[in-house]
Amino acid sequence: MHELSICQSMLEIVDRTMAEHPGAKLLRIFLDVGKGSTIEPVLLSEAFDVITTDGPYEETKLVVNEIPLAGRCRSCGSTFEYQEVALGCPKCESVDIEITSGLELAIRELEIDENGAGDPPGGDAE
Amino acid sequence: MAKVDVGKKILSENDRVAAKNRETFDDAGVLVLNFISSPGSGKTTLLETTLDRLPQDLRVLVIEGDVSTTRDLDRVKAHGATGVQINTGGGCHLSAKMVAEVLPELDVEHADIIFIENVGNLICPSTYDLGEDGKVVLLATTEGDDKPMKYPTIFYESRLAILNKIDLLPYLDYDVEKVQREVEVLNADCELLQVSARSGEGIDDWISWITTRLEEKRS
Ligand SMILES: [Zn+2]
Repeated sequence: MHELSICQSMLEIVDRTMAEHPGAKLLRIFLDVGKGSTIEPVLLSEAFDVITTDGPYEETKLVVNEIPLAGRCRSCGSTFEYQEVALGCPKCESVDIEITSGLELAIRELEIDENGAGDPPGGDAE
Repeated sequence: MAKVDVGKKILSENDRVAAKNRETFDDAGVLVLNFISSPGSGKTTLLETTLDRLPQDLRVLVIEGDVSTTRDLDRVKAHGATGVQINTGGGCHLSAKMVAEVLPELDVEHADIIFIENVGNLICPSTYDLGEDGKVVLLATTEGDDKPMKYPTIFYESRLAILNKIDLLPYLDYDVEKVQREVEVLNADCELLQVSARSGEGIDDWISWITTRLEEKRS
């Protein structure tokens, strides 16, 4: 359960970014989370809710873009999504495989309301 | 409404501190291995056996990560290692910062090898770079033989996988070949060594793996 410490690290970056936009209200945080990043999006959202209660981000929404775990076979060049019981390349059974995506854990962008300090997010924020 | 581009890895601050740790280790020419496993896989026992079997002239330091006790540190100290304890106070992994904070207490400058025993689980520690030369993931034959595909991240991140407690294989329904293949699929560069920290089987291979890495580090 390291989602709480991931949230803390995330909020440090968010705080620094928001400091460059005084008076703005943070509406949404867009994250890229790879399926192989060891992060459980549901636990991350719960941790975020707990950690932002009663603070400036109380109404901020976390939007997680889950990125599938994908690989490429170095022998035959075919690309595929990782299956739970993958025992090699589905085409040629080679084990010489490289992960091409799915390890991401990053803040992509923030959606802010530049003159919205104190106001709840508008209808179009959803 | 405005969009602000951030494009930043969430663990970028940890990675920055890890890079500083790595610089300290590289300057001292010390090999640093970060051990990760589930509880009960025999990490501390393997460490004890390793300390006994490594060439006596090597100076070994141990950083013990644990939620709350110093029991593991007491055990490795009895085998001649100097070390420090990091109690995470509930935290499920070590971070680069926790390691950076204890470095002044250790004589890194004059050490040859540092073993970091991470907090016992296969998920949380795998994401955190501590500045080590390599992660070593430890499995035991008493756990299920589906571990690699269940916890893939630690296998992509590890430089070596060790299957411990092979002395119990005759009594268990454990498919070593399947585990071997899963590790290969996840990370073709991650070797799998089979050992028994209790009987000593396979320990020679493990010791020579460490000493080879140490030579590489110094060359
Ligand atoms: Zn193939």
